[in-house]
Amino acid sequence: MDISTVIDPKIIKTNMEAASKEEALQQLSQLLYTNEYLTDQAAFLKDVYEREAVGQTGIGNYIAIPHGKSAHVKEIGVAIGVLKEEIPWETLDGKGVKGIILFAVGDDTEGAQKHLKLLSLFARKLGNDEVTAALLKAKEPQQVIEAFQG
Amino acid sequence: MKIVGVCACTVGIAHTYIAQEKLENAAKKAGYEIHVETQGTIGRENELSPEAIAAADVVILAVDVKVAGRERFEGKRIIQVPTEVAIKSPSKLLEKAKEVVQQQAV
Repeated sequence: MDISTVIDPKIIKTNMEAASKEEALQQLSQLLYTNEYLTDQAAFLKDVYEREAVGQTGIGNYIAIPHGKSAHVKEIGVAIGVLKEEIPWETLDGKGVKGIILFAVGDDTEGAQKHLKLLSLFARKLGNDEVTAALLKAKEPQQVIEAFQG
Repeated sequence: MKIVGVCACTVGIAHTYIAQEKLENAAKKAGYEIHVETQGTIGRENELSPEAIAAADVVILAVDVKVAGRERFEGKRIIQVPTEVAIKSPSKLLEKAKEVVQQQAV
């Protein structure tokens, strides 16, 4: 299975400028909404923040994996943002965040098995230091995709 | 050392699989045998066989929610931690597992 098919270059933002988690999530969810992944951006964001309240999504090494399992998701997708500057976030290692992977998953998990399977393989890659290091260096969407192909 | 484990996070789409990857990589580095089952949104994957469980020296549960099929591990040495711990310091977790195994072997 080619994991890079999970990644849509239209919802990747490199050289991203944001000063806070809120700004970054606003921008990334906007990308998802504009590209028809969401039916309701504000409601989706609410679900993302609910998950934020449950536990840290900063997994260390400047990477954060906020996610929303939400009734307001039309299409399963992953928006990826690579920030120019580190921003504060609740992280396992106390560092800031430069790479944000925002997962959008719908409520209907039965109908989405294949997608979710691809997504789980994609998530696994985020546990790999080489992949995340390459991701953080990416200056354009294509480089982000390439980071996950390695 | 032979390890079996289960990873299960709250939403079941990200931390579950990242924890699995981290544990597997750390075990490989340390030269341990490991087999990790995931319980996520897509259900159970890489399900642990009864043989693997029987042969394991220790069970690592990196979970934020209830483990399905926990009865399978009755009688085994179990270390239970949040998925965060497996993601943040998988090698330390494995060291702790080694300690537990060595202590109880005496």
